[in-house]
Amino acid sequence: MIDSQTAAFIQTGVSISVAACGADRLPSMSRGMGCRASDNGNEVRVFVKRSQAAELIENIRYSARVASVFSLPSTNRTIQLKGSDARMEAFDAADLAVIEEHIVLFLEQVVPLGIPEGVVRVILAYTVDDLVTVVYTPSAAFSQTPGPKAGKPLD
Amino acid sequence: MSIRIETIRECLEGVIPGHIATCDSDGMPNLAYLSQVQFIDNEHVALSYQFFNCTRQNVLAGSLVRLLLTDHRTGAQYRLRLEYLRTETAGPLFEQMKAKLAGIASHTGMSDVFRLLGSDVYRIRDIEHVPGAALPPPLPPVNYLTALRRATQRLSSCSNLESLLEAAMNSLAEEFGIDHVMLLMHDQAYGRLYTLASRGYPESGIGSEIPIGAGVIGICAREISPIRIGFMTSEYSYGRSVRDSIEAEGRVDGLESAIPLPGLPEARSQLAVPVAAFGHLLGVLYVESVDDLHFGYDDEDALVAFAAQLALSIYHHQHVAEQTEDVSSSSAEAPAAAGPALSVRHFAANDSIFIDDDYLIKGVAGAILWALLTDFVERRRTEFTNKGLRVDSRIRLPGVSDNLEARLVLLQRRLDERAAGIRLTRTGRGRFSLTVDHPLQLVSG
Repeated sequence: MIDSQTAAFIQTGVSISVAACGADRLPSMSRGMGCRASDNGNEVRVFVKRSQAAELIENIRYSARVASVFSLPSTNRTIQLKGSDARMEAFDAADLAVIEEHIVLFLEQVVPLGIPEGVVRVILAYTVDDLVTVVYTPSAAFSQTPGPKAGKPLD
Repeated sequence: MSIRIETIRECLEGVIPGHIATCDSDGMPNLAYLSQVQFIDNEHVALSYQFFNCTRQNVLAGSLVRLLLTDHRTGAQYRLRLEYLRTETAGPLFEQMKAKLAGIASHTGMSDVFRLLGSDVYRIRDIEHVPGAALPPPLPPVNYLTALRRATQRLSSCSNLESLLEAAMNSLAEEFGIDHVMLLMHDQAYGRLYTLASRGYPESGIGSEIPIGAGVIGICAREISPIRIGFMTSEYSYGRSVRDSIEAEGRVDGLESAIPLPGLPEARSQLAVPVAAFGHLLGVLYVESVDDLHFGYDDEDALVAFAAQLALSIYHHQHVAEQTEDVSSSSAEAPAAAGPALSVRHFAANDSIFIDDDYLIKGVAGAILWALLTDFVERRRTEFTNKGLRVDSRIRLPGVSDNLEARLVLLQRRLDERAAGIRLTRTGRGRFSLTVDHPLQLVSG
C-alpha cells in the first residue's frame, strides 16, 4: 500500500506512464491519462487508451506485473510504483471527472515550461470508449527524483 | 524498419522527457524518465547514463529496452525497441551528449544533479508510431537543402580567402537566416583558435582567441565534432570556459586577452561545427542565438556540410597562395608620406605591436607586421609575397601546417578596423602590397 501523501501526489498534475513485460521479457509502455488511488492506498487505478496500449494490455494479462511512474514536471519529483496483481478493467464513466481534472492540473504544470497547450491536449485527447483501466495493489514504491536517492525505496 | 529515426529527431531533444522501460530477470518491469537521447545514425542512438539505477542494472543483465518518445511540436508518440551495445565514456559522442545534457540540466533546474557518466549506445530494432492524433509540424524556418546548395555555390565562386570569408558570413545570414556567426581558425602550434571573421556583433572580435578544449567552440575543436546546446548553461559559456582552462592548466601561454571574444552575453542556443579537410582541423564555425532550441539536428547537418565545403575552399586558397605567385605588376617604391609620424612599437617577447600606444595584435601576425614595416622603413619596400614570408627568419612561422594566408587576412582586418593608415592589399595570388599613409617611427621594446 501507499501512504496518503504518496496517494495524493500521484493524483496531482503528474506525467504518468505504465509498463509491463511479455513472455520474451520485452517491455511495453503507454501514457496514463490520470489515476485514482483508492481503498486507503491499497489500490491504484491508472487509465490508458486501448488503441495505444494493445501490447501493454496483453503483457498485463500475461504477467500481472506492472510498473508505473508519476513525475511532477515543475519539481522533477518522481515516484515509481510496482505491483504484481495487475488486471484490466473496463473504464468506469465515473472516472471521467478524474481524467478531466488531471488534464487541467497537467496543463498547469507544463504550459509554463514552454509546452504549447495544443500539444498537451493532443497527447491527452481521448474518446471514452477507447479508455480502459489498469488496476493493481502497489507492492513497492521507489523515489526516482533525479539525484543520489534515485531508485531507493520510499521511506 | 518502417520509420527512420532521422525523420523523428525532434523527439530526441529532451523537451518532453522520454520514458524508458526495462525488465528484470523475474519479469518485473521498470520505468524511468530519460533526459536525453542522442541520434547517431539510422540504426543507432545513445542514451545518457547518469546514475547506476534499476534501468541500468536491467540493461547490463541483458534486458531489451523500450522507449516512448514524444514530439514536443506535434504531440506524436513513438515507441522504439532497442538493444544495448556498449558504453562510451570519452570522445565525440560523449562530449556531444555532455554538452547537451548541461543545457537540459540547467533548463530543468538539475545543474547540480545531472552528470553524464557515459553514453550508452543502442541498436534500434524497431520504431512504431503510437496511434493517436497529432498536430501538423510547424514549417521549417528555411529549406535546408536549398540554403546549402545556394551557400556552397557562393563559396565556390570565390577567388581568394578574403572573399571566401565574406561569402561564408553572408551566406549564413542570407541563405540560412543565422544572425550571429564566428569563424575561428586553428592555431595548431599553440593549441588555440583565433577569430578570423564574425557577423552580428557590436565588435568583430577579430584576433580574439580561445584555448582548444574551452567551451562549446574549444570542445568542438578538440573532438573535431559538432557540439550543440539548446538551453543556456553557464558551464559552457566562453568567459567561464576560458577562465577554467587558464586555472586548470596554469596561464595559457600567451593567449590573446586584449581582444575580447565576440559573442552574445545570454546565448541560449549554441552550435559549433568543425571546419576540417583531409583529416586536419582548420577551424571552427560557431553560431548562436538568444532563443532556446534555436538550432536542431537539421541545422547541425546543414552547417556540418557547409563547413566541410568551406574547409575545402580554405584549404584550396591557402594552397594556391603558397604554391603560386602572380607576377608583380609594379615594383615602385613607396612615395614618402608627410604629416605627423605614427609610432609603431614592437615587443619581441610576444611579438605584440602597439600603434600610438594602442594594442593592435601579437604572435605570428605581429611578427609579420613588424617584418613588413621594417622593410618598408629601411628599404621603402611595399610589395611582398607569401613565399617570401614563409622563408623569412624574422617571422618564425610554426610550420607549413600553419595557415599563413589566414594570418594575413587577420592582420589585414585588424589594421582595417584600427584605420591607422596602414593597409595590406591583395595584389594577386600569393602576393600583396603594403600602404602606409603616415611617416613611421618604429620602436623596439
